[in-house]
Amino acid sequence: MKENISKSIPRVDSKAKIRGEARYIADTEFENLLFARTIRSAKPKAKILSITLPEIPAGYFIVDKNDIPGKNRMRTVVSDHPIFAEDNVQYIGQPILLVVGEDREIIYDITSKIDIVYDEELPLLTLEEAEKTSAVFTDYHYDKGNPDEAFKSAKTIIEEEFSTGYQEHAYLEPNGIAAEFKNDVLMVYGSMQCPFYAKGALRETMDLSENKIRVVQSITGGAFGGKEEFPSLTACHVSVATKKSKKPVMMIYDRAEDIICSTKRHPSKVRYKAALDENENITALDIDVLFNAGAYNGLSPVVLQRGIFSATGVYNIPHLNVRGRNFMTNSVPSGAYRGFGAPQTIFGTEMLLHNIATKLGIDSLDYKMRHLLKKGDPTCTSGQIHDIVKMDEIINLATKNTDYYNKINTNKKYHGIGVSLFQHGCGFTGKGETMINGEIILSKSGHNVTLKVSSVEMGQGAETVLRKIVAYTLEISMENVSYTNPDTGMVPDSGPTVASRTTMIVGGLLRRAALEMKDRWKEADSFDVSKKYTHPNFLNWDDDKFQGDAYPVYSWGANVAEVEIDPVTYELTIKKLEGIYDVGVPIDERSLIGQMQGGIAQGIGWATIEVMEPQSGKLMQSNLTDYKVPTSMDVPEMNIDFISNPYEFGPFGAKCAGELPFVGAPPAVAAAVSNALGKPINHLPITPEKLMEIDNEN
Amino acid sequence: MVNSLRPETLSEALEILSKNHCTVIAGGTDLMVQKARGFSIKPEFAKPLIFIEHLDELNHISLENGEIHIGACAILTDLIQSNLIPDTFKEVIGQMASPPTRNLATIGGNIVNASPAGDTLPYLYAVDAKIELKSVNDTRLIPINEFITAPKTTILKEDELLTNIIIPNKEYDITIYRKLGQRKGMSLTKAAFHGMADISNEKISDIRMAFGSVAPTIVRSLKIETLLKDKNINELEILVPKVLAKYSELIKPIDDARSTAKYRKDVSLRLVEDFLNNLGEN
Amino acid sequence: MKIEFYLNNDLQDIEVDPAYRLLDLLRDDFGLTSVKEGCGEGECGACVVLMNGRAVNTCMVPAGSIVGKHIITLEEFKNTDRFKAIEKGFMEAGSVQCGFCTPGIVISTESLLNENPNPTDDEIKEGLSGNLCRCTGYNMIIKGIRLAMKKGEGLW
Repeated sequence: MKENISKSIPRVDSKAKIRGEARYIADTEFENLLFARTIRSAKPKAKILSITLPEIPAGYFIVDKNDIPGKNRMRTVVSDHPIFAEDNVQYIGQPILLVVGEDREIIYDITSKIDIVYDEELPLLTLEEAEKTSAVFTDYHYDKGNPDEAFKSAKTIIEEEFSTGYQEHAYLEPNGIAAEFKNDVLMVYGSMQCPFYAKGALRETMDLSENKIRVVQSITGGAFGGKEEFPSLTACHVSVATKKSKKPVMMIYDRAEDIICSTKRHPSKVRYKAALDENENITALDIDVLFNAGAYNGLSPVVLQRGIFSATGVYNIPHLNVRGRNFMTNSVPSGAYRGFGAPQTIFGTEMLLHNIATKLGIDSLDYKMRHLLKKGDPTCTSGQIHDIVKMDEIINLATKNTDYYNKINTNKKYHGIGVSLFQHGCGFTGKGETMINGEIILSKSGHNVTLKVSSVEMGQGAETVLRKIVAYTLEISMENVSYTNPDTGMVPDSGPTVASRTTMIVGGLLRRAALEMKDRWKEADSFDVSKKYTHPNFLNWDDDKFQGDAYPVYSWGANVAEVEIDPVTYELTIKKLEGIYDVGVPIDERSLIGQMQGGIAQGIGWATIEVMEPQSGKLMQSNLTDYKVPTSMDVPEMNIDFISNPYEFGPFGAKCAGELPFVGAPPAVAAAVSNALGKPINHLPITPEKLMEIDNEN
Repeated sequence: MVNSLRPETLSEALEILSKNHCTVIAGGTDLMVQKARGFSIKPEFAKPLIFIEHLDELNHISLENGEIHIGACAILTDLIQSNLIPDTFKEVIGQMASPPTRNLATIGGNIVNASPAGDTLPYLYAVDAKIELKSVNDTRLIPINEFITAPKTTILKEDELLTNIIIPNKEYDITIYRKLGQRKGMSLTKAAFHGMADISNEKISDIRMAFGSVAPTIVRSLKIETLLKDKNINELEILVPKVLAKYSELIKPIDDARSTAKYRKDVSLRLVEDFLNNLGEN
Repeated sequence: MKIEFYLNNDLQDIEVDPAYRLLDLLRDDFGLTSVKEGCGEGECGACVVLMNGRAVNTCMVPAGSIVGKHIITLEEFKNTDRFKAIEKGFMEAGSVQCGFCTPGIVISTESLLNENPNPTDDEIKEGLSGNLCRCTGYNMIIKGIRLAMKKGEGLW
């Protein structure tokens, strides 16, 4: 009997967590454990002239660039971040050395006595400054159709600029990692999304061969992209330290430290020029995307790619000229964060259409719907929408549930309703999945089946969902399907837990393997089935020209936000947020609703209260007292629903879901605020300070 | 390890203070964070700690001679749950920090910390609260606006303890308290306004207004209140612009990580204007 | 300083630096790892335990303050009927994702319901306002508490 896969089951990891029995890395015990503390740059840009150390007691160590056996660069897309600074530093917070030892108070004491003399250089501190000097890491471009012609023959040309700020992941569990040598093998344990990324980085930095490194994920207390590439750096830190000290080394970041030095969402500026024809429809867009990548390039090229490939959102714009640049500034490096570049451009595009419609006196939802993509349409990179787009159904449900059309016409000032339409490309961009070439293994042993994947459970429900896919395919009970936190020594590389790929890609491989295992079940008591990723062959992608199918398929959504602004103080209350999504088929509805609500809350935070402003290269909001994430009193009632649109190549029809809910919330809130005040909202975050100014300017 | 002290009685505590340089600690919610040095590391205190939070003599909430006496170590949650504390002050306390922090923090700690953003302060200034300071040889009663002289600065002597806070046992006809934070829950104050008034026979028989987080110390002006006292509420229309202009000179906020000077000033004036405009409607 | 206090219903008599944080005392000295450090500044609630029945941020409690007090952590609380009701409510509502905030949320829930057995939604939100969660968006946590109140009727 086949069960309905969407029907919710209890999450398999919840009980231990509710009972306080889940052990995170900081809760883990090691014998003869040493701790490490990082000394960081106090300057945004400087040469290091000297480092004067106090007397170091026996059993305590200084670990720095001289102790690195292999490469002093963190391996990622662009391996430019030094593990330990060499003779210069490029951002406040850049790691210079570690103090390692048994007693954390003594370590603290030693760190307070280390004196570093800098020769300061002129830093680039803002996107504006960087743009003036053309300090660019990457300059990408693609086009479609004939934008020059379209602009020449346009009836109207509209120009707008949008900007968004930093965001800190603020996972409740700060970064934590530990390393030891066990029988000659380097073992690394920690809070992370991508054990194999860490392993790859360690191979280069520790100069160890494949079979001499094992990375084991610990129970992870939230990540959101913040533990995608960043743990590669900390893994190298503790590994160099354990090699030198010959004892296990653990490093748990302080919260303020974590905020100052770990990767952030790219601040952005996006400039649009829109060509409108005689029917007032957009025929061409010229989009200029500027991201602040911080001091090192790292993962930024891929973030920028997703940003520019999402730049037209859910719309079919016939002519395009799209440019994207990652600028270098002497600030903390920007990196992976839920949405990965798309929130910035989709915010801009949604507000662009909203503003154009408002200028034209047209309902913004109706205006947006004129331009919606449908099956068969070309994408912005001249690929194709291969699957049915059900935006009409999504929009109908969203507007019906919220009485949108009535409220948009009857709302008094300071009360607003707004809608956003959005999508998220599933899996890695372009050829990414092929490059990863993910592999999974299913192992049968009697009645039990073990999943061997490198996907991590970080709160998103991956363990439950992946086990469920296998259990329901084999029609055996969940208890007979097991999974353990990935250990690179025990599982194949099925790819990182990122890009909203875990259910669709890894789950897809597991489904195929389980189907084969089902057929062969009686073959033997024990056997393995392994599957490797194959890219659907009707998809084409040219990585040099950025042309073709950037993603195999998209998930879609609409959000409707209702807001109230206090007319005296301009405090913003988000009263309700409606989220209707097409993720193919939900693998577990309750788990998925939890993801949607969490993503919306994070999006609301980014859009309204998560202010992070640098001043002279230093983040002004560098602890949780000053950097405000939403509390239970800051989040509205969130009503979530899904429409069904099974994806042929997804397990049970599932597509991607993790990042989608983040993308939709900010533009919906901005549209609602714009509706409440009768003014455009082009810049995030939307604070009372800004609203007071906007409402009182002429 | 410095030798820290846990006296059994108030007089023992005062005796210790008269002879030793100590850091007084009550709830610890300010001090433990100010002196924090990082995860898994003990905060660093230069002087021995003297613990006072448990002292019976500092934990009362009582009515004496028609006035409410609050012990300096009264826990914020206890103040919210007490029948004696005026509702409008409970409203203030209920918006401070977060429930677990309110379960630890003391009113005395908030006062002695003397932050320009101290949440209890606008109300205490507005109701002319009196602060009792005790040392081995002396007891003095100081109006709160003389107790705090500058940001984080009070006239508390090194051998003194703040022991008692005395407020009138009074509820006003109309009260408005607005605390603006960076978010709705668990927030430090960007700007705060507390307004209280009694109306009798259409006249303003009593009016108090205080602003927090918009100057080095709490802004309250008896002069401005006198302008409004005993006036008829339909005179307000003419008086309000005058009042705003005068407050504008006193409200001197700064830009910082939490907000801007411009917003803080504008919103403070808007809040007092709104308060005054609504007086007539009640 | 010599400190006598009750930890999970056992009398403890220890010699400790009074400035030592209760958080470190519980985690490092007593191995009670359900108590988490999320921020060290009283802003996240991951470190809360019950002290004389009320949730407190242990990162801000100096050891010198706990004399004579009754401290209960999740390691002890999980043996109670009230906990079972909370556990059931949370499982049914989907209140747990990464789990790091969860012990603190359980403790704050007990602290809230102990004082106010029938809170409104607003009172629940306010009661939780000292516990940050970055994963769930809180809706399902509030739902979980409502279910706990139903399943644990009469317990609070």
